[in-house]
Amino acid sequence: MMNLIYTYQPLFDYFLLAVGFAFSQQMVLRAGVFSIGSAGFASIGAYGVAILVKNHGMHALVALLLAALMGCIGGLLLSIPLARLRGVFQAIATLAFVQIIVSLCLYFDEITGGPQGFNNIPKLVQTWHLVLAAVVTIYFMIRISRSAIGRAFDALRQDETVGATLGISIRKYHMIAFMLSGALAGFFGGMQSLYTYSIEPEMFGFPFLVAGLTYIILGGRGTVTGPIIGAAIMSLLPELARPLADNRQFFQGALMMVMIAFMPHGVFDGLVLYLRKRRAAARDKIFKEGTNAVTGA
Amino acid sequence: MIAQQLVNGLVTGSVYALFALGFTLVFGTFKILNLAHAGVFMSGAFIGYFAVLHGLPLWLALVLAMVGAGLVSYLVELAAFATIRGSGQIEFAALISSIGANLCLMSVAQRLSDTKVLRFPFETFPVRFYEFGPVRFSFLQVIILLLVAVLLGAMMFYLYKTSFGRQVRAVSGNERVASLLGVNPALVYFQTFFISGALAGVAGILIGLSFNSIHFYMGEPYLLKAFVVVVLGGLGSVHGAVVAGMLLGIFQNLAVAYLPSALTETIIYGLLFVVLLVKPSGLFGSEGVQVGVMRR
Repeated sequence: MMNLIYTYQPLFDYFLLAVGFAFSQQMVLRAGVFSIGSAGFASIGAYGVAILVKNHGMHALVALLLAALMGCIGGLLLSIPLARLRGVFQAIATLAFVQIIVSLCLYFDEITGGPQGFNNIPKLVQTWHLVLAAVVTIYFMIRISRSAIGRAFDALRQDETVGATLGISIRKYHMIAFMLSGALAGFFGGMQSLYTYSIEPEMFGFPFLVAGLTYIILGGRGTVTGPIIGAAIMSLLPELARPLADNRQFFQGALMMVMIAFMPHGVFDGLVLYLRKRRAAARDKIFKEGTNAVTGA
Repeated sequence: MIAQQLVNGLVTGSVYALFALGFTLVFGTFKILNLAHAGVFMSGAFIGYFAVLHGLPLWLALVLAMVGAGLVSYLVELAAFATIRGSGQIEFAALISSIGANLCLMSVAQRLSDTKVLRFPFETFPVRFYEFGPVRFSFLQVIILLLVAVLLGAMMFYLYKTSFGRQVRAVSGNERVASLLGVNPALVYFQTFFISGALAGVAGILIGLSFNSIHFYMGEPYLLKAFVVVVLGGLGSVHGAVVAGMLLGIFQNLAVAYLPSALTETIIYGLLFVVLLVKPSGLFGSEGVQVGVMRR
């Protein structure tokens, strides 16, 4: 399915949309929440915007902001029951959430168009809108990662118990992570529906969340640059690997296995870690030489 | 009418159980979610199909599918899981890695089938019906029920009555202690993945025969159903998977018959969600599972 999308739409626009979804996925993982529910929020946002703009003639920007709000509220509601679960169980529960959204979209076909999809959505989003949205999102991600919230997320991801002893409320910060992730997914889901003319329920199913996870794994989970790199690699891959065209999916799968085995932090985060380690080693060496010079050894 | 639905449900459910059993076996033993199980299931159907196409009898195709899918499953373990074992965060890594493996398997199948839906040649399986009062069985349904019963019986015997089975269960309890006691973990890995794959392979060819449609994408819906089954039965619980598989099959058939059919999926995944929240250890899960579920 992704094949079709990549072939027929300008790569760059899709890359920008992918960046948004990648950030949404990263947000929860960063806080140590193993949620794969972004697809569900994206679906809510996409259908919300499509209905508001096409059926009710709402201004696109207002509808997009409402979509972000819907995603945010969705995240809030989902985070309450999920506070009880951890790890694999969290992943399964969010997968169930995604499937519920898909099946509801199929069921209420009078509103959503069901399996035929929701068609003839006015194309109101141009490339520069997407660029603007991506830039604002990147700025927002940088601000968050440097704020108390970002530090709390990092602490919780590395060790929940330690985080809790430092006075970080697990429940509260997991809730915040869900809300931010939901808002991002809702917003970019809305962008996507205003960009692609038509949406269908299965667009936001299992392959969607696999794509989101791939961006993060390839690029990296801990930095703002990581997901951008991941999304760029996945968007460029079909172009760079023209001879592989038919085997693109095979290549993607193999890439995921190789990356997680040999570079579990992703391309960018792995590089950052490597450089940091080398710098630390160099500093140690200088320090040692300095001491030796002083003591005359 | 209702008796017929129950029978149909039982047949569907027994295939779910077969699929979910391998999934839960791997989870119970190694604590990893093997999403490539969908791909293994599909490879079973493909191997069976090509065997039949080359003129082999159906029973031989079934055996080939079973062994072939078992080997594919072991291949997945070598390519996707052996490489990440010992890295700190196996839970997350295994999920990603098995998604990757699944993509690879699907891609190969897509090439083999030219993205087409494959169908068994006409009369591969005799279409015959038996009437028992108000209930009508097809010959295929009878075979499916018998086959699943035999496989489940053999599997239970293997796991609970033989030395190999005890070794598998020992590694599932604690790999280090098991290897101190002289269990060879490599052999256990091979057996577990092979059995898990073989069961999935049989499920694959049975589903292929029932719907007479085989395509590279066929695993995903069953994988999603398997999540429901294994959580309902308790992740890692073998008995639980069997009972929950049957229950899900019956429930699904009744729901399709008596409820708006498009809503069935919503109800099933809603059920999964509720079970996770109310009783994450499932119907038959042990207390040990609970520890992994709740906040540490």
